[in-house]
Amino acid sequence: MDPTFETRWSQFSAKKQAYLAYARPMEQKVGSFLTYRPDVEAPQAGALQGLPFAVKDNIAVKNFPLTCGSRMLETLVSPYTATAVARLQAAGAVVIGKTNLDEFGMGSSTDLSALGKTNNPWDFSRVAGGSSGGSAAAAAAGLVSFALGTDTGGSVRQPASFCGVYGLKPTYGTVSRYGMTAYASSLEVMGIASKSLALTEKVYGVMKGRDPYDQTSLDPAPGVARAVKTIAVLDGLTDLEPAVQRAYEAALDHLKALGYRLLPVHLGTLDYAVPAYYTIATAEASANLARFNGIRYGLRPEYAENPEDLIRKSRTAGFGDEVKIRIMLGTYVLRSGFQDQYYTKAQKVRTAIRNDLQKVFDQADLLMTPTFPTRAFVHGDRSMTPYQQKLADKFTVTANLAGIPALSFPAGLEEGLPVGMQFMAPAFEEGRLFEAAAKFATRVAAPDCPGTSLDWSK
Amino acid sequence: MYQTFVGLEIHIHLNTATKVFCGCKAHFGDEPNTNVCPVCMGYPGVLPVLNQHALELAYTVSLALGCQLSHRTLFDRKNYFYPDMPKNYQITQFHEPVGQNGSIEFALADGSTKKVRIHDVHLEEDAGKMIHAGDMTLVDYNRAGYSLLEVVTEPDLASGEETEAFLQAFQRVVRYLGVSDGNMEEGSMKCDTNVSINKAGAGLGTKVEIKNLNSSRFVKKAIEHEQKRQAAFLEAGNKVSQETRLWNENRDVTETMRTKEGGLDYRYFPEPDLPPFVPDASFLKRIQDAQVELPLARKQRLVREFGLSREQAEFVTDARFTADFFEQAVRASAASGGSAMANWLMGDVQKELNHFNLTLEACPLTAGRLASLQSLLDAGRIHTKIAKQLLVSIFEEDKDPETLLQEKGLESIATEQQLAPIVESVFSAHPNVVAAVKAGDARQKGFLVGQVMKATGGRAAPDLVNALLAKFLA
Repeated sequence: MDPTFETRWSQFSAKKQAYLAYARPMEQKVGSFLTYRPDVEAPQAGALQGLPFAVKDNIAVKNFPLTCGSRMLETLVSPYTATAVARLQAAGAVVIGKTNLDEFGMGSSTDLSALGKTNNPWDFSRVAGGSSGGSAAAAAAGLVSFALGTDTGGSVRQPASFCGVYGLKPTYGTVSRYGMTAYASSLEVMGIASKSLALTEKVYGVMKGRDPYDQTSLDPAPGVARAVKTIAVLDGLTDLEPAVQRAYEAALDHLKALGYRLLPVHLGTLDYAVPAYYTIATAEASANLARFNGIRYGLRPEYAENPEDLIRKSRTAGFGDEVKIRIMLGTYVLRSGFQDQYYTKAQKVRTAIRNDLQKVFDQADLLMTPTFPTRAFVHGDRSMTPYQQKLADKFTVTANLAGIPALSFPAGLEEGLPVGMQFMAPAFEEGRLFEAAAKFATRVAAPDCPGTSLDWSK
Repeated sequence: MYQTFVGLEIHIHLNTATKVFCGCKAHFGDEPNTNVCPVCMGYPGVLPVLNQHALELAYTVSLALGCQLSHRTLFDRKNYFYPDMPKNYQITQFHEPVGQNGSIEFALADGSTKKVRIHDVHLEEDAGKMIHAGDMTLVDYNRAGYSLLEVVTEPDLASGEETEAFLQAFQRVVRYLGVSDGNMEEGSMKCDTNVSINKAGAGLGTKVEIKNLNSSRFVKKAIEHEQKRQAAFLEAGNKVSQETRLWNENRDVTETMRTKEGGLDYRYFPEPDLPPFVPDASFLKRIQDAQVELPLARKQRLVREFGLSREQAEFVTDARFTADFFEQAVRASAASGGSAMANWLMGDVQKELNHFNLTLEACPLTAGRLASLQSLLDAGRIHTKIAKQLLVSIFEEDKDPETLLQEKGLESIATEQQLAPIVESVFSAHPNVVAAVKAGDARQKGFLVGQVMKATGGRAAPDLVNALLAKFLA
């Protein structure tokens, strides 16, 4: 961890020309932004004074576009600002752009954006992960000090692991969802991607807390602070890419060397996590995306016979295939007479997962898993079927189903590509995530991506 | 030989200053799309914030209708596409509504009462309004997000007439509670009507839902039309098909809107953006405190307590303000009974209100003024004709009866001492008439009365005039 990270980033306004000379060509190669407006003055007061940050383009920032990576909203400019963003702005941080994403957050590569292509800063032929790929890439490429993403099933953590940065998914409800375009309301929360663990913690501290505009939001209520001693690990973990397997085993060794007790546990519900996740997420998405109909804003056809025709044409032209598939799936699982079979059953699985994790946390302070079974894959990789790709979300979706906090942290490089591991903690125990990740960083620091630097700030 | 079953789904706009899930003004009729914000326009990322006042009113109605109140009320999403519905789902209550299993008693035309069971009471949001203009459709979202309360009855009503009476009674109830103005013509109360008919004793028939009914009169007509239509159908040996029909008020018929096959699957599921609401003790106390004596109970009490006729009691209790006014006036004029006061309200007061185009709420006549007017009468200080004259003066000059009486010098001449000299002077001015009356021509007696009245400016107490005439003529 770089102790001068924040100090150097706070030079952003003063060293604007030097920053732009570095950032513009870098951004050309990475393509993390859908809107990039670095020509702003950062305030010089507050806990985050002068720090430039990026916001995933499904989060509202007044007078910035709010495209959600979709043709449907390509022309939409947000009339309001998300509460969490407003809190960061009030603390002196400044938005310098909106980052690319898989359309409406549906995907794990950012290749499903209708509006731009994002490359992994470590290897431009590879994806940055997703759906918050633009945010993780911008943080890894040194274009921003931190970036906001949204995490519905791993959308902050998976790209963070692909790009070699920290990715925090806070406890459900601790960060206001007001201003965050809803995909799966009961699962998602705003998260943070940054190269600095300390800054991640600080940003979370500014964002969190109850918001009168989000009735599901709450003030975090952590238990009595205690040092992390025991870390649960999954017994009989298979199906990892060999490089990830190696990094995982190395991480176990580092934890042992740091003096943690490792406790092997069996999470019987893990195999049901992905089906339950996709059932709930698509069900909620089918309602959440119904508002996009071309009438009040967004894409609309040149001509329509009547209002119904206008809605049909807008949605047909505005949504990409993956979005359409998920809306149809969600519509299917919510049909009357079939809810018990799908939606209600998925909610039962969700409860079972929560109970399973509770048992783990009765014996251990944290649970560690790999963030994702593979490293960043190349654009257009067909080696995994869409079904296999979704199964690969099992480590990340577990935290969303349980509503608990999780942090993906850099656990080294394998063949030149970063690999991330993930800590999960009981609700409101973000403190444990930061504590253990900071210790881990004394052995494996966040890697510097080749070609990136903060030299402009000198 | 057919039995009719009618159940209603009544929607009322609740009297809340702001919309149910955002802070926009709940005011219809303003410039289109001015009372809107990102929340009620369904922008990406917005979330609903439940209006506590709307929830209080919903619980108030539920309690008044004798419902079991939910200890943990939940919201659900009802999914369907409609151009004036911003989110294309409606936030409503499906699994755990505010109130369930209540009932409402109301009076039928013959004076008997009937009880209608309430299935449930739930809170939801209204949609916007579409305006079709030539080859264009415009949408006004000012109404989108209004607090809407839906009251669902069991199919306990048996005719169009009964249903009309029920709707009027229901309207009185919500007005008494002060939760809604319940105006069907202005759209603050709407009613979808489910009608089925069957052979007597055979239970419910196949339900047909009728929409687009914007007066209780149309509800009655539509039910009567359906009774005939469905009976003809059954007579011809057909089965009535389950469908939704629209009332065509120009042709006085119902027309198919959608059949069951084309029916919508609303895919209800719990609203993830709103946590369950658990009423606490202070909330429940406020609900309790908001209860009022309901119109029917009040009508029955006024008959009992003040000896009003049914017609009088119905008039007086039609609006809560009138009933309050009545009771205050009766209590303030200790000498007189309720019947006299009810007659004032039904007769001369109503006449002056119509004449001045005023309402009882906003007119110069107060319960206190009416009471003192009646007290002047009771004390014999004025007589009826003067009282009516004073009432008009109250409306014209906005002053107390006592003041007007003094200013205008209208107090009755009610003592023999005052009146006898006047009678004597009339007698001496018209000796021929006096002689004629004395000779038995009673018809001319009225002339003498008129002369006394004229001489006193109408202030002579009529009883005393008659008594004195009798005495002097004897």
